[in-house]
Parts: sequence; structure tokens; C-alpha cells
Amino acid sequence: MPATQMPMRYGHPEGHTDVCFDDSGSCIVTCGSDGDVRIWKDLDDDDPKSINVGDRAYSCALKKGKLVTSVSNNTIQIHTFPNGAPDGILTRFTTNANHVVFNRDGAKIAAGSGDFMVKIVDVMDSSQQKTFRGHDAPVLSVSFDPKDIFLASASCDGSVKVWQISDQTCAISWPLLQKCNDVINAKSICRLAWQPESGKLLAIPVGNIIKLYRRETWRNEFDLSDNFITLPLNVVTWSPCEKYLAAGSVNGCIVVWNVETKDCMERVKHEKGYTICGLAWHPTSRQLAYTDAEGNLGLLENVSGMGNKVYSHLFDGDDDSDNADNGDFLNENMEFQLIPKGRTDYEDDEDDLMLASGYPRHRNHILEDDDSSVEVALMEKGSHCEKEEEKDEHWGSTHAVLLSTSRRPFYDGPMPSPQQKPFQSGSTPPHLTHRFMVWNSVGIIRCYNDDQDSAIDVEFHDTSIHHATHLSNTLNYTIADLSHEAILLACESTTELASKLHCLHFSSWDSSKEWTVDMPPHEDIKAICLGQGWAASATSALLLHIFSIGGVQKEVFSLPGPVVSMAGHGEQLLIAFHRGTGFDGDQCLGIQLLELGKKKKQVLHGDPLPLTRKSYLAWVGFSAEGTPCYVDSEGIVRMLNRRLGNTWTPICNTKEHCKGKSDHYWVVGIHENPQQLRCIPCKGSRFPPTLPRPAVAILSFRLPYCQIATEKGQMEEQFWRSVIFHNHLDYLSENGYEYEESTKNQTIKEQQELLMKMFALSCKLDREFRCVELAELMTQNAVNLAIKYASRSRRLILAQRLSELAVEKAAELAASLNEEEEDFRNKLNTSSTTEWSQPRVVNHKVEENNSEDSEEADEIEEKTDLHKNRQNPFCKNGSSADGPAIKSVTSSNQGRVNPFKVSASSKESTISVNPTSSNILDNMKKLSKKSTVPNRTANKEKSPVLKPLIPKPKSKQVPATNFFQACTSQTDKIVEEKKNPENSLSESPAMSAQNIENERPKTGFQMWLEENRSDILADHPDLSEEPDIIREGMNRFRMLSDEERKAWAHKAKGGATKETETKKRKEPSLDNTKQREQGNPKENLNLSKKQKTLDISTNQKLSAFAFKKD
Amino acid sequence: MDSAEVEFLAEKEMVTIIPNFSLDKIYLIGGDLGPFNPGLPVEVPLWLAMNLKQRQKCRVIPPEWMDVEKLEEMRDQERKEETFTPMPSPYYMELTKLLLNHASDNIPKADEIRTLIKDMWDTRIAKLRVSADSFVKQQEAHAKLDNLTLMEINTTGAFLTEALNHMYKLRTNLHPAQSAQSQDF
Repeated sequence: MPATQMPMRYGHPEGHTDVCFDDSGSCIVTCGSDGDVRIWKDLDDDDPKSINVGDRAYSCALKKGKLVTSVSNNTIQIHTFPNGAPDGILTRFTTNANHVVFNRDGAKIAAGSGDFMVKIVDVMDSSQQKTFRGHDAPVLSVSFDPKDIFLASASCDGSVKVWQISDQTCAISWPLLQKCNDVINAKSICRLAWQPESGKLLAIPVGNIIKLYRRETWRNEFDLSDNFITLPLNVVTWSPCEKYLAAGSVNGCIVVWNVETKDCMERVKHEKGYTICGLAWHPTSRQLAYTDAEGNLGLLENVSGMGNKVYSHLFDGDDDSDNADNGDFLNENMEFQLIPKGRTDYEDDEDDLMLASGYPRHRNHILEDDDSSVEVALMEKGSHCEKEEEKDEHWGSTHAVLLSTSRRPFYDGPMPSPQQKPFQSGSTPPHLTHRFMVWNSVGIIRCYNDDQDSAIDVEFHDTSIHHATHLSNTLNYTIADLSHEAILLACESTTELASKLHCLHFSSWDSSKEWTVDMPPHEDIKAICLGQGWAASATSALLLHIFSIGGVQKEVFSLPGPVVSMAGHGEQLLIAFHRGTGFDGDQCLGIQLLELGKKKKQVLHGDPLPLTRKSYLAWVGFSAEGTPCYVDSEGIVRMLNRRLGNTWTPICNTKEHCKGKSDHYWVVGIHENPQQLRCIPCKGSRFPPTLPRPAVAILSFRLPYCQIATEKGQMEEQFWRSVIFHNHLDYLSENGYEYEESTKNQTIKEQQELLMKMFALSCKLDREFRCVELAELMTQNAVNLAIKYASRSRRLILAQRLSELAVEKAAELAASLNEEEEDFRNKLNTSSTTEWSQPRVVNHKVEENNSEDSEEADEIEEKTDLHKNRQNPFCKNGSSADGPAIKSVTSSNQGRVNPFKVSASSKESTISVNPTSSNILDNMKKLSKKSTVPNRTANKEKSPVLKPLIPKPKSKQVPATNFFQACTSQTDKIVEEKKNPENSLSESPAMSAQNIENERPKTGFQMWLEENRSDILADHPDLSEEPDIIREGMNRFRMLSDEERKAWAHKAKGGATKETETKKRKEPSLDNTKQREQGNPKENLNLSKKQKTLDISTNQKLSAFAFKKD
Repeated sequence: MDSAEVEFLAEKEMVTIIPNFSLDKIYLIGGDLGPFNPGLPVEVPLWLAMNLKQRQKCRVIPPEWMDVEKLEEMRDQERKEETFTPMPSPYYMELTKLLLNHASDNIPKADEIRTLIKDMWDTRIAKLRVSADSFVKQQEAHAKLDNLTLMEINTTGAFLTEALNHMYKLRTNLHPAQSAQSQDF
């Protein structure tokens, strides 16, 4: 019969607590962080007597009507018991004492303090003090030898010392513990204990085991351990009969051993897993009182009491006789004590034992004898290994342990862990009266389960989807899900009613918005989910039913195991289930991902789900963009990486963001663009309460890359994070969803920038091989830039290698282009060998811009002719994407420039667009941007992408701002441009620096300049150079008020179309303008590109014109 | 300046709301706001928060200091000290009033908070009166008061200066008036 664990009850506010029994065992005494000592008649005592002893009580001890406490004013106080009248101060330290204990007869106390000292004080005469110095850190705990010869103490300096009380010398010191600087940082408070009567053994909790040392020899007699204990033990106490040893761990395990047999008698887990910091045996009965670090008091009844009786038949004869001896011995003594009391019940040894120990004096003798027998038993066992022990103490001790374990009749392998129960993602436990049934990106379903009535509240984050609703919960629904279309509820079966699935299809266009389905008998719904146009329910019969959202039953299939949780998104269904039994706290889960669209297919075939050790699944679902994700109980968020063969990548560790150990983040949603992990911070719990209404916080993602502190590591992490978080774009395009090209281009640009930075970094570090590796990840354009960079930094070998690479890439590109003509879709898959999928961009473009392509090709040929002198030969593989690359080559004919150096002459360069100050990164941006230009035109009427799935607003603005920030850091040049509000008004969110340059001819400033040129010239007749005029103009323009500037910008924007046309007409005549244009052919080129969309033929002429100038 | 103007100034204070609609970033003279995502907290000026709240477009998250325990502590401190203690926000009164009037359903223990703020206000105004009283009585030329909020200054400022002007006139006229009187008769 295992011990009965009484429910925990509140004892003190959270914080360290201590517990002890009074001499007779009639009451439990606790002390806690509120500075109160509470005297409990029993666990159900509703009105315990409280004695205030100070601001905080750290430890208490009780003996012979004297209550000794160590309190926060650094004193050891004494109070009378049970009255609680103060009886003076025993001693003081310079800081608070951590542990105080009585010696056996209650005449002295020992206290260990944070000022490294241990003191023994005579209770009657506090002037009789003995101080023990020698610890180099705060003392954790102390323990008196029952014979008053020794004193043991454990300290934060990692040592456990035994002191000779008489001369205050250290008898022995073991470096057993982990070092730390303070008690609060200690892994364990290491409450050690001497055997209470004989003092033969000293038990010390060291990590997950208890080491027992023999008196005088100070040899490690044996260790006690158990697989149940996973975290360090905090407290150890002997039962008053010395036979049993109880230990409490920091994660709330309480284990009781029989010391003689070294068998584990009890394994009890604290109901909430809090740290056990106080543990006390009842002096007579089979109770074990414990307190946790949260201030709760608990009680175990019937602890190990059955020891001899129940287990004895399991043991070998050897053991049995030992036990029997003890039992008999006790019985004999019992008899003579009990007869006078008129007690006639001899049958229950344990009862007798309890009564007997009620008489400490007598019991003393009895147990002394008893001890000897125990010792004999120990010796007998120990003798086997005595010799080996001499050779190797360590080996001996392990041997002893082995011996003890070999006697164990029961299974000792890895213990199967209980399978986790099915749950709905974003719900709080069903036993709560007020709980969340669902909190997802659509809304919140709350359930109130009061005595009189039970109700469900549905609330939508976006009230435009549907208004909040209130339902009465007569059928006791426990499972719910919520989508843009419907509310789905389910209840388990009762004795009369079958398990029901109830759907409120609020988006239905007819008048009947509800439907209900009864499950077959003996089939309970365990998990449900909603997708777009379908609902699914998994049942206890390992079946998965799929319904249409209107209530038509569709597919049904068997699940490979009991369902854990399900999630739906669009056409995807994700099912987590138990693949088998996990061991040692691990769960063994599998995951299935199905697509329920037109082409139904299974993407993940019940693959194992990677979970952190000893954790369970806590949340499973999809990102807003439709990538499967899940969170385990250790706070690790993982996302499916479709590019890497559907593997799972950890993208965030929410625990890193927690302040406290027991704080958690309760995940409610994941967004890939912008990268947001939406979750609710929960202080000291795993889930939030319904009231006060919790607020959502946003965490950022971070991949667990190495050396994240270095620049290289950071960039690598950023790069791969960007890759992972944009996999969904490929998925969307593959599945024929619409998405915004701009985000994709943005992504490619961002990634190429990072690659370029890494490239430059490796270049700087002379890591040429690494440079090539990086270049392999780049797009064609970026590779060309890299070649340029390498050749300018005089790395000719590198440049050559890179150009080889570029040839390969070009060939690949050409090949893919050919294929593409045959079939777009096929190409998407085949080209996935290149990481950067420049060809894919081309793909989309080709679809939209077939007409434009030819023109562009013409243009490119023209350009190639013009620039043959410094042309690289690969551009001939004419594709639209190559066009810009050529331009980059043409434009970067300046001297060698450090691409990361902020240009000092930024202002001048802004205005005159002096080619000498342009740098590689600028060009690069231009390039990648260039490839997007045609797309932008096609993209102008942006339709909300994937309507219900993607959050409409965010995808547009946030990246744009991000980008601007990035830009400023890279090129000061742009800063100036940014001032022109034109930026913010630009029609495309992907509008970026180069676009500004593209649009330069129609900025507000230039319009203003045209108008005011004459004024400037009049004021400064000496200004003849164009750059000077512009500079002066710039100064004046900057003096204008914001509003005026805005007005200009607005005008510029409003008249954009007109402006360009008029400019075209004006151009030949306007000398100044022409000069400017000539000064920057590149710019002109950009302009021409822009105009192409307006008028292709004029555009061609214009570009031809521009190139002639060059 | 009257209290409406002070309140107007207070409406620029930022508060956190949870919108129940979806809207892109909006660009205003005072700065950019948003983007608004349903269910995600966002900081907006009080005036917008109140407007949205009245149209039931958002829930307001009370400022951190608007918490019974913290306010009790502040009130006790205010009562204990002779001088003015720093307030949680320079517009505590206005914020409390606006939030409690329009968004009391989003603020836990709204009534208690109202009482506490009123207590603090009363204590401070009483202090202000006492100090003004001693200032006048002792005929001091100047005095320094720290940690007063705009609204508090506004309650007595105009009156006090006007009163001092009058008193000054009366005092300076005291002696000449006597002589004038004698001349009259």
C-alpha cells in the first residue's frame, strides 16, 4: 500500500519554508517567508495558531517546549511553545542564519549562518557559545551528532565538514557539493542528517543521490539513489526509528528508502512539482510532513509503515531474518511497555512502534539495541565488499549500491512515462472553473463552469469577422476550436448521451447556422480542429472523421495511435499522436500532415516528432502563413523546414525570455512575416488565468546557431532564419496560392545583402574558400558583384573561381529557362537545387511579362554591345534577370572602395550622384531590385493574399520600415533621400533606396529646383557648376518647412506620370537636365526602365539615347 | 489655461490598447501609429484610445501604475510626507478620469482606483492650500513646490496669483489711502 498523499494546503506566502513536529507529534510547526511560525493541529486545521517571530523566518526547531527560529534580523530567537511568548535571543550573526537545529537532548542549538560561521549555543545560558570557523561560503545546513561529539555542516563553498565539538576542529571535510556564492544560488540547500539515535551514519544529499558516511571512519558506506529522482535532492531526514530515510528533491519528488535493505519504499511526486525545502517525520506515526518553496504544507500518511510486512515476503531469507529480528525485538519491548496501558493489540507492529516511540526514554534503549542489529545487518552486507573497498573506495561504494539493487525484485529499467492526455492548442486545463477553451489568432473561447450554470463565451479578436457570442453549456462541452468560418465544440459521452460534435457555422449564407453530429457509441471525441471549409474530429476509437464545414461527413480513417492534438489551416491537417510509450519522462509522439485539397496527399507520414528530453507537447498549430509549428513544455518552438526534407528546426526558446524559473510563455500564435511569436507571459505558471485578462506579448525568433555573439554567427543566424521564414512563399506558390511578390523580392534582397556582408567579412579574414562557398548560395547578380569585389580587393584567384562559379550558375539558369518554356510547374521543383531561386523569380515574371520580355532582351543586347570592353561574358545568357547585372558592371568602374565604409561626402554624392562614391552594396541592392521592376507593375492591384490565412495589414508596412532602418546603417547616402517624403508615399511597400534613385527625376526637390533655379542663379551668379547649384538648392530646400516640402513631394508624386513625359519632351532642349542625366547614365537607365511600363517605344528610344551618351 | 486645455494636453499621453480591428499603419502629424492587429497590444495616444473605445473598437490596458496596491502605497506615502511626492504620471488625474469614465469595464477594481486617486488628489490639494496659506501669511516673496502636476497648478494657480495681486494692491494702498482719506475730509 503506497503512502497517501494528502492535498497540499497553503501555509505561508511563497518563499523558503521549514517544518517540524512537536515532541509528541500532536502538531506540525511551520515557518515561512512571512516571518510567522504556524502551529497546525493537523493538515485540515483551518485556524492554525500563528506566532510572529520576525520579518522572515529561515528555519525553526522545536524541542521541549522551546521553539527556536532563525529570523531575518540575523538573530536566533527562542519562543516558548505552544504559547509563543518571546523568550530572548540566543545568538546573533552578521547575517541571517540559514539553518538551526537542536541537539538530541534539547540543551544546545547549532546554527549555520550566511557569514560562514557555525555556532553552538547553550539554550539555558546563551553565553556558552562555540564558534566553528572554516567554511569559505555561507553555511547551508547543520546537523548534530546525537552523541554530541560531532557536528556536521554543509556550505556553499562545496564542502561538507564534520567538526569535533569539544575543540572546534574540523574532523573531516568532503568536497561534495557544487560551489556557489549564496544560498539562493545553491542547487540544493543540502539539509544533511545524522542517524538520530546511534549517530552511526551521516546522510548527505549530493546531487541526485544520498551519500551515507560512517562515523569515525568517515568512509562513504553506501549511496542511496533512485531513478525517480531527476533533480538534486534538497532535504534528507531519518525516521525516528532510524530505519528509513526520506529525501525531498528540488522538483518535488519525495523518496523514502529502507536503509537496511536500501530499497526504495516510496516515491511520491509533489502535486505541482515545487521544491521540497522542509521535511519532517512524525515522531511516532507514519506521517511525513513536508513544505515546499512556494509556502505550501503537505502530509504523507502511511509512509513506509508497511515496510516489514508487505515487502518482507519479497526479500531473500537473509534480509527477512534481519527484519524479523528487528520486528521481534521491537515486539518484545513493546509488550512490556504496552501491558500496563492495557493495550492488547499486538498484531500491528507498526502501531506498536508508534506507541513505543511515544516514550522517548524507553525507546532509547530499545532502539539502541535495535541499532546494533541494524548494524549487524549492515556489516553482513558490507563485509562482502569490505576488501574491495580497501582497494578502491569508490568502486566499493558502487558495488554496494549494485548489491542493493540486485536484491530488488522489481523492474529496475527505464520507467515508462505516462502518455500525455489529448489537448487543444491554446486551451487551459479542463478542471479549472474558468478556463480558456481556445485562444488562437481568430479569437478566444472561454468556458465558465460555476455550480449553478455553465457557459461559453466566444470573442473574436477582429470584430468584423463576427460579433462576440455567449452560449449556455448545458451539454458540458470541453473541447473547442475557432476559425474564420465556424465555432466547433465537442463533448465526451456521458452515460445517457453520446459524444457530440457541435458546429456553429456563422459564415453560412443560409439561415441554419448550426449542426450537430453524434458519435457512434463508445467513441469519444478527443481532439477537434477546423480548417478552411472542413472540420475534423479524432476519437478514442483511433478514428479521424472529416466533415465539411456545412456538416457533410467526408473521409474517415484510422489513426496510428491515440491522438494528442490536432490543428488545421487552409487545406492542411496536422495530427500529433502517440507512436508508442516513452520512457523516463519522454513522450513518444508522431506527426501526420495531410493536405485535404483537391489533390489529397499525406506530407508527413506519422514521422517521429522531436521533443526536448522529458518534455511533452504543449502547443501544435500552424503559423499564420501555413507552416506547421509546435511548442514543447520546455518552451522550444519548432517549425517545419519544407526545404530540408520536412525537418523540424527550433526557432525560439521561450525560456530564454523568462525572468523567473517558474515563468512560462503560453503560445497563442506564430507569424512568419513579420517574424512574431505571440504569446502570453505567465508568471509562475504554465498558463494564464482568465481574469485579469492576459495581454499578448511578442517574442522574436532566434535559431540556435553557434557563436551567436560574433558577427559571423549573427549573420549566419539571420540569413538562415530569413531562409526558413520564407519557405512558406515557395509553398504558397507551389500550391497555387497568391502571395505578394514584393515580400519575396524583399526577402531575396535581404538574403543577398547578408550573403554579401558575409562574403566581405570572409574576404577580410582571408577565407577565400569560404567566400566561394558563400558565393554558391548567391544569385547570379550577387555573384557578379562578388567577382567585382574580389577583383578589386586583389584576390585574383578568388575572382577566377567565382567567375567559374558564375559560368556554372549561368548555365544552370539557361537550362532552367529552357525547361521553363515546357512547363512552369515542373521547373519550380527542379530548380530547387539552387538555393536562391533567382530562376523562380523569373518564372513568375515570365508569366506576367511575356510581352515585356522581348523588349528587355533587346535592351540587354544593346547594352552588352555598348559595354563589351569590360563585359563579363556570362551575361549573354540573356534573361531578364541578367540585365541588371550588366548594369552593375558598368556602373562600378570607380576606384576601389570599402563597401562598408560610410561615405563621408554623403550629401554631395546624393545630389550629384557622383559615381565615385557609390558602393558595392548600393549596386547590389539596385540589382536585386531591378529584377522586381516588371513585377511591380503587374502587382499594382494588390489583392489581399490568401484571404483568410494571411494577416492583411502587417505584411506590407513592417518590412518596409525594417528595410529603411537597414538602409540607413549601410549607406548614409540614402538618409538624405529619406527626408524627401516621397519615400513614404511610394506606392509599393518594397520601395527602397534604388527606387528612389529610379524616381529621382521626379522628386519633390527636383521639381522645386526647376522652379527656383533662376532665383538661385540670380542670388549666386558665381555658381556655374551644376553640382554647386544643386547643393545651394538643396540647402534652400531644406530651409523650407515640412509642409512645403511635403507639398512638393506630393506634387511630384501626383504629376509623376505627366512629369516624366514632359521631361522627355523637354530633355533635348533643357541643357542642364541633360547634363545631369549624362552625368549619370545609370540613373537614366533606371528612368527608362520605369517608363517602359508607360510607353514601350519611347522607352526604347530613350534608353538608346542614354547609352549613346555614354 | 483652464482644465479642458490641460485635459487636451493629457490626451497626448500614450496608452496601450488591444484593437479588435485590423488596420495598416496610419501616418499622422504627431507620428505614425499602428499597425493595428486584432488582439495585439499597440500604443496609441489617449485621445485615439478613447475614441476607439467609445466606438467599441478596442480594449484599453490600464497603465502599469493603475493598480490598487501601487496606488495605496503611493497614497500612504503622500499622506506621510510633508511635501509633494512624485506622481506616477504627470497627467495621473486626467488619465484616471478619462480611462475610468470611458473604459471602466477594462480596468479591474475601477471604483477602488477612483477612490484612491481622489484621496491622493485631495491630500495634495490640501497640501497645496496649506502651503499657499502659509505663503500668504508669512508674506514670502517666492516659494518652490516640486512634483506638482499641471492640473494641480491649474486649480489654484490663476486664483492664487490674482489673489496675491489684489493683496499687493491692498497693502500698497493701505498707507496712502489713509492719507487720502484725511485729505478728503
